[in-house]
Amino acid sequence: MAYTTFNRNEFDTFDQPMFFGEQVNVARYDQQKHKIFENLIEKQLSFFWRPEEVDLTNDRKDFIDLPAHEQHIFVSNLKYQTLLDSVQGRSPNVALLPVVSLPELETWIETWSFSETIHSRSYTHIVRNIVPNPAVIFDDITKNEHIVRRAETVTKYYDEFISLSTLYQQLGEGTHTINGDSVSIDLRDLKRRLYLTMVSVNVLEAIRFYVSFACSFAFAERAKMEGNAKIIKLIARDEALHLTGTQHMLQIMARGKDDPEFATIAEECREDVIAIFAEAAQQEKEWAEYLFKDGSMIGLNKEILGQYVEYITNQRIGALGFDPIFEVRSNPLPWINAWLNSDNVQVAPQEAEISSYLVGAIDSEVDTADFGDFDL
Amino acid sequence: MSNARKAARIGRRRWASRTFHSDAQTEMELTGGSTTQLEMDLGELPLPVGSSAVAVTPLIHEPQEQVDFFDLLAESPEPTPQTIFEGMEKPVFAVSFADGRTARFQHANTLLESFEAQNIHIEYQCREGYCGSCRVRLQEGDVHYTEEPMAWIDDDEILPCCCIPTSDLKLQ
Ligand code: FES
Ligand SMILES: [Fe+2]
Ligand SMILES: [Fe+2]
Repeated sequence: MAYTTFNRNEFDTFDQPMFFGEQVNVARYDQQKHKIFENLIEKQLSFFWRPEEVDLTNDRKDFIDLPAHEQHIFVSNLKYQTLLDSVQGRSPNVALLPVVSLPELETWIETWSFSETIHSRSYTHIVRNIVPNPAVIFDDITKNEHIVRRAETVTKYYDEFISLSTLYQQLGEGTHTINGDSVSIDLRDLKRRLYLTMVSVNVLEAIRFYVSFACSFAFAERAKMEGNAKIIKLIARDEALHLTGTQHMLQIMARGKDDPEFATIAEECREDVIAIFAEAAQQEKEWAEYLFKDGSMIGLNKEILGQYVEYITNQRIGALGFDPIFEVRSNPLPWINAWLNSDNVQVAPQEAEISSYLVGAIDSEVDTADFGDFDL
Repeated sequence: MSNARKAARIGRRRWASRTFHSDAQTEMELTGGSTTQLEMDLGELPLPVGSSAVAVTPLIHEPQEQVDFFDLLAESPEPTPQTIFEGMEKPVFAVSFADGRTARFQHANTLLESFEAQNIHIEYQCREGYCGSCRVRLQEGDVHYTEEPMAWIDDDEILPCCCIPTSDLKLQ
């Protein structure tokens, strides 16, 4: 039962569920139960980027010129994103790797979590550029009550799961007395917690980032903080892939595609799932209120951002096979789609917006209009 | 000679004169001594960013070995849209939405692009099949994926950003 870094048992990988089956042994990708995870790994690797490649010298000037209430919006979002990526840079590894049973899924989890560390490093790059002393921003993350309150909901599912799953690995199922307290460990309960942890991660990556993304792109629409917006585009591209990853895991579970017990667990948890989504939407709306407490920014206010949160919540919960939980039916910020599209993401300091400069990217959409009077 | 053919010939000469801008001698041979060709300016070319007039690589390296495709074509009938598509069925499919909107799919790279060209708004983000933003429900019809869709979709859903129809479609 205890975790082993190289399981000696012989078993058929196709008989293994995603989680809580045999511990993985050979990191081999010739036999794949769920090929999607291999596809996600390849895509994520093709997205590789380094924060230092994005030039932020103009952002420093822009930031100094921003009015105080807009500086507050910018810095607060940066702090919140830093919190989210701090969590995501470690938690999938710590929580999921000890219980994973498929090599392609194990590697996807590691690849996913690694990409979050790039996001974290990019925040330091941004902060260094806008303030002389980065500590004033980073030190506030664990003190600011608006951020701490949300950190609590972001981490509680992870933390409870990790604590019980560690005991399960050491002691197995049953009722145990630990430091005088009686703790009962039940595998089905652990699976339920894993399912809800995954839902909470999906909410983190699919909803919680988007208020911040919207603000970054609204600045860039006015040609402010454009280097930052480039970084956010790259982060948003990664996050779109991550949320696809958790949607696949949740759907494989809910459909009992590899462990029938998860199908009944998912059925039982429907109300919990709705509650997790609704709570996140509510917190993000409150966050928008905090952001705009001293004034809105051009193009965004707390009402429209609130509608956007509701819209995106409907989209994400819909992808998991649930009915929408809010009234809003169309995207109140349609201009964001163009920013969320990574086609013209460009990190090297060549001329902007020429996607063919991207390493490994080929622009196959050639239109005859592109050639102008370029006859042959 | 049709206007299109003339335009093509003129265009070809213009191109030649541009590429040989730095070599007047070759230019004279290629264009039969017409000096007017030399008036073409490199500035008219949409040069790749980072290159300069001096660094332009001639695209036609050895004019004496050039095969003139237009001369080879001289005996065959002039190509027209009709002859080009002769024997091929034009892939045109009707697409209808449950709310009454309709569109025609014809010669577009993806269903999403086709909708956008016809002012039908579909949500998108990645446009490459991995984010799921464009997900729509397919009630009737079939599609072909031009790249493997990675986003999770239900059995009755499609991702318009990376597919084309292979029949008329009914969408929700
Ligand atoms: S736009 Fe991302 S899947 Fe279609
Ligand atoms: Fe991230
Ligand atoms: Fe992520």
